[in-house]
Amino acid sequence: MSAVSQLRDDFPDRLSPMMVKELRQGLRAKAFVTVFLVLQALLGLILLAASAGASSDRAGTVVSQVIFVFFSLAVLVIQPLRGIGALSSEIKGNTIDLMVLTRLSSLRIVAGKWTALVGQSALLVATIIPYLILRYYFGGMNLFAELVLVLMVFLLSAALTAVTVGLSASSSILVRGLIPLAGTVALTFSIFGVGFSGGLKDVIRICSLESGDEATGVGVFVLLIAYLGWHALSLGASLIAPHAENHATLRRVISLVAIIVTGGILVLADARAEILITVLTILAAPAIALALSEPDHVIPTVCRPFVKRGFAGRLAGRFFYPGWPAGVAFTGLLALLCTLIGFLLPNAGDRYDADEISVALSFLGALLFPGLLTILVGKKVKERFACFVLLLIASGVFTLVLAMLASTLSDREFLWLFAWNPLVLSLMQEWPEFSDDLLLVAGVVVNGLYFLILLLKALQAFRTIRETERALLAE
Amino acid sequence: MSALKVHNLYRYFGNLQAVNGVSFEVPHGSVCGFVGANGAGKTTTMRILATLDYPTMGTAEVCGINVVNHPSEVRKLIGWMPDHFGNYEHMTVLEYLDFYARALGYKGKERRQRVSEVMEFTDLVPLAERFSNKLSKGMTQRLGLGRALLHDPQVLIMDEPAAGLDPKARVELKHLIRVLAKEGKTIFISSHILSELGEMCDSLLFINAGRIVHHGGAEDLKRGSDGLGGVLYDVQINGDPQAVSDWCVLQPHVEFLEGRKHGGRIRIETEDPAKAADVLARMIKDGLRVVEFHREQRNLEDAFIDILGRIERGESHPVMPPPMPQETNPSLS
Repeated sequence: MSAVSQLRDDFPDRLSPMMVKELRQGLRAKAFVTVFLVLQALLGLILLAASAGASSDRAGTVVSQVIFVFFSLAVLVIQPLRGIGALSSEIKGNTIDLMVLTRLSSLRIVAGKWTALVGQSALLVATIIPYLILRYYFGGMNLFAELVLVLMVFLLSAALTAVTVGLSASSSILVRGLIPLAGTVALTFSIFGVGFSGGLKDVIRICSLESGDEATGVGVFVLLIAYLGWHALSLGASLIAPHAENHATLRRVISLVAIIVTGGILVLADARAEILITVLTILAAPAIALALSEPDHVIPTVCRPFVKRGFAGRLAGRFFYPGWPAGVAFTGLLALLCTLIGFLLPNAGDRYDADEISVALSFLGALLFPGLLTILVGKKVKERFACFVLLLIASGVFTLVLAMLASTLSDREFLWLFAWNPLVLSLMQEWPEFSDDLLLVAGVVVNGLYFLILLLKALQAFRTIRETERALLAE
Repeated sequence: MSALKVHNLYRYFGNLQAVNGVSFEVPHGSVCGFVGANGAGKTTTMRILATLDYPTMGTAEVCGINVVNHPSEVRKLIGWMPDHFGNYEHMTVLEYLDFYARALGYKGKERRQRVSEVMEFTDLVPLAERFSNKLSKGMTQRLGLGRALLHDPQVLIMDEPAAGLDPKARVELKHLIRVLAKEGKTIFISSHILSELGEMCDSLLFINAGRIVHHGGAEDLKRGSDGLGGVLYDVQINGDPQAVSDWCVLQPHVEFLEGRKHGGRIRIETEDPAKAADVLARMIKDGLRVVEFHREQRNLEDAFIDILGRIERGESHPVMPPPMPQETNPSLS
């Protein structure tokens, strides 16, 4: 029993095994220890310097700015970046297979990785609080608002960590590396921008939650980042899961419920049309992107729960089976649902402009277009999701290049040649020579065409699913 | 009921036919060696059995449980040891095993007990506090074996466990496998080192280009059986060695395989020793001055190459050639 005596019970059994493993490794990692110590040293130095010049009126504001910037860099940039290799290192080391063979589901593996990183970020938050309290000494501080700000930064960090952990399961280095790195650059500039300009004051004002709008804004922000973060974790789980594990159905059900509930609340609150469209688009976009980029492995284990429920179950399966064929049907369902919700707004007929609908159609088309290309080249690509994301980025970059070109020219009619890229249609709205009504018609035609082709491909693919269902029925 | 049963298993990756109609059974409590060149389909077959991949067509069962339909049940029965697995940074050997024990659902005292037993069995106790990524290849393989044994599986599937090990580590691993076999575990093991498999295994499966080309006992192969009912003999004569091949051409059920300095290798299409004695008697009667006539003792590498050679020359066929699938539906098993 010598080994047993060496085994310290540093973590209780009720914690997730994955979290225990990650915490054991993470708390010993140089990256965490360095960030932790450097942050403490910097904040200590800044507070000492500020204390020396405590007579200055701006000392308190400077301390707030410095705390915000360094804390944000630590938890919004460095901590999420540590998630980049979270799953890819396990995949490379063949250890994902070993974990899948235990009782850990893919979602528990991904969630364990995420909670351990978020737990370490929470430790950083805990170390910030004393400095925040000390900063109160310098005066001119809304303690509650700054505590809410710290909480918001922490929650955003958790969501960003979910994104990097989720993307880290991708086989494409471009997706799991370049996207987070590009995000990091943008975020670093934003943090310095907000931190050392008047922007921080505005953010603190919003975090004071004094008006109903501010409270609603903060609440919606929290819900949206939670929704997007969950989608990212679910994506990571899907990418590492064996074929017998189905994550798509739950993901789609949650998206559907989120859209119905949020849409319902916004309709009842008689929200502005553009807010309704924006929120529904944000909710639908990740669900559609993932649904159209899933591989189409539908195996008996996954079909069985649907087939057991008879015709209704099989019908539901057409929308909720994992894989892009059911994903296409699900996309149609979401689009239909969002349209219905839109019409439920009081006086709906008078509240929408053609350009608002065009923008929504452009965003939908922006997802259908790479979705269609991914399905057409699907057999040749290693990972559909990576292909989808890279095509989406390429389509966005292409639109930006066209925008720069078009802005230097007086005649922009050539943009019609690129109307097959739905993002170009939303770009064309910037110039008055393109009629809103014509752009709306173009958007409907392009989206309709892409969706029709997707539907035809999906119907072909459903043949395989029908065979699986028949085999299960015959059992 | 067999511990492992694979029937008409196909696995296609696009146009690549990794596994092409494989069928075999491995009885409970036996050690079966799985032999084939790189890319022959060994790892794919093993991964399907370990529920880590799925077949394009066909069935695979572990202790009678279908690996596609009931992967969770199968996982409780198998221990999987891949050819290569990474170890974690900043994690000791003890913590590594503790993590997997937790992941397998062991709690408290039972978890500590299980980790301790496995560490003692694999002789990892002295390495308990060493970081798992600082272990030698041999220690890493012992750690991998320990992890695979944590839940006391009935069947161990080991993919190239001896690859890259030094001779001492190989001997240690072989010893552990022998102990496990004595305990009644079914072991399905692939390796390139055929001589070692021959010592450990009750039966050998040879796979080539996704098809099983031989399934039989290691001793048969060593004694010169070709797995197709024939026996190989080495014949040496006093005189022109060409006479042996000339003589064989005229004989039914006797095949000349290759010439040697004083004679050649021949194959007699029966395992009956009396028939072999008849052949020898006829040789002498026909004037061949036979100085040596003995059943071939080959190493397994030679046997493997021999079987592959005969298949390439069209002189032999894969075991149980299966019908080609009508369509490649990944969902049907």
